Amino acid sequence: MSGSSKGKTELDNDEQRAQHWAFLASVLAAPPSDGMLSAIVDLSGGSETALGQAYARLAGAAKHARGTDTKTVEREFFELFIGVGRGELLPYASFYLTGFLNERPLADLRRDLALMGIERAEDRHEPEDHIASLSEIMAGLASGAFSADALGCGAAGEAGFFARHLQPWAPQFFDDLAVAPSADFYRHVAEIGSLFMDIEIRAFELARKQEGRAPAAVAH
Amino acid sequence: MPMEVLRLGIVAMSRPPVTQWSGRILRPVSATMDLLPLEAGALMADRDGVQTVYLGDHALVLHSGETRHYIDNLMARQPSIWVAMTGADVALVTADPYEGEALASDPERVVEAVPMPDTLATSLDAFIGAHHVEEVFHKRKRVPATSADDPRAPRILQPDDKWVQSRGRSARGPRGTG
Repeated sequence: MSGSSKGKTELDNDEQRAQHWAFLASVLAAPPSDGMLSAIVDLSGGSETALGQAYARLAGAAKHARGTDTKTVEREFFELFIGVGRGELLPYASFYLTGFLNERPLADLRRDLALMGIERAEDRHEPEDHIASLSEIMAGLASGAFSADALGCGAAGEAGFFARHLQPWAPQFFDDLAVAPSADFYRHVAEIGSLFMDIEIRAFELARKQEGRAPAAVAH
Repeated sequence: MPMEVLRLGIVAMSRPPVTQWSGRILRPVSATMDLLPLEAGALMADRDGVQTVYLGDHALVLHSGETRHYIDNLMARQPSIWVAMTGADVALVTADPYEGEALASDPERVVEAVPMPDTLATSLDAFIGAHHVEEVFHKRKRVPATSADDPRAPRILQPDDKWVQSRGRSARGPRGTG
């Protein structure tokens, strides 16, 4: 959880980023459980930044959802990501980049994951290019649990992985999530997501300029 | 889906075998709305070896989605109830002729269409009146592919494009019929 640990104990920058990614992964993989909702209620932005305020608004939404009906968020998640036939959104890289599921972007991602030595857990059935699993991988990269140094074609490292597999579509996905007809609780998640994507994109760009490296390959 | 459960008493008959190599076969002969105070399998009559057996009372379930089939049944010259038996047990009692005939394809089963009691025909008629929704046959046609029909799915599914129930009382009808 990101918020409870923020402020009191000073985490370094990468650990905080890992917490943000892990938070996005957990709310996008499955609807938040009662315990998770309570934890979200306790989140406080703790700052005047846009991201901090977005977290505070999410905490307010979680409090409202917990006060009315615990199944509300679950139903919303169903309408958004599962649905009858399909959900309102298809949170897969392949769909956003090509218009179809299980296309080349997924194959590219699988190849890169094989190089990185990461594979899908046995009880997970979503393709790897789901936004939640990509967020989980980013959390692992930020915390140092995973390493993307093995990737080729200028995509080595965390920045390269992000630029290749998330940057082309994740901001668009969070914009879509913000305007999806059923989104209510998830509207705030979308806000956090798109702010965080923006921060990440600018931070990687800044780091790249400071290091004076050649621009990372976005796609190939 | 609304449904109604009626109880029907089933009476079966078995004749003495014509040859010494075949055994007796119990065949349903009538269904009654008046349940008899007899146990299932009770012998009602035995006249010259022709045995009449009461098979007990069984559930006849009417489903609101099958009203078209019940109408077809009532429109026949002799409205019937289909009784399917496996061995000496009643497997199914139905007022849906197509379900009954489908059961008859199994040679292991004895399936008989027995006359429908008038009281049952009346309550079946009431059930049809309460639940029948007339469905117009809608012939779908192949639409030539144009640039307007993008094979790619929409990024955000709008509420109008979501799956809706197309049959029954709360149905919106097939898509494209307006």
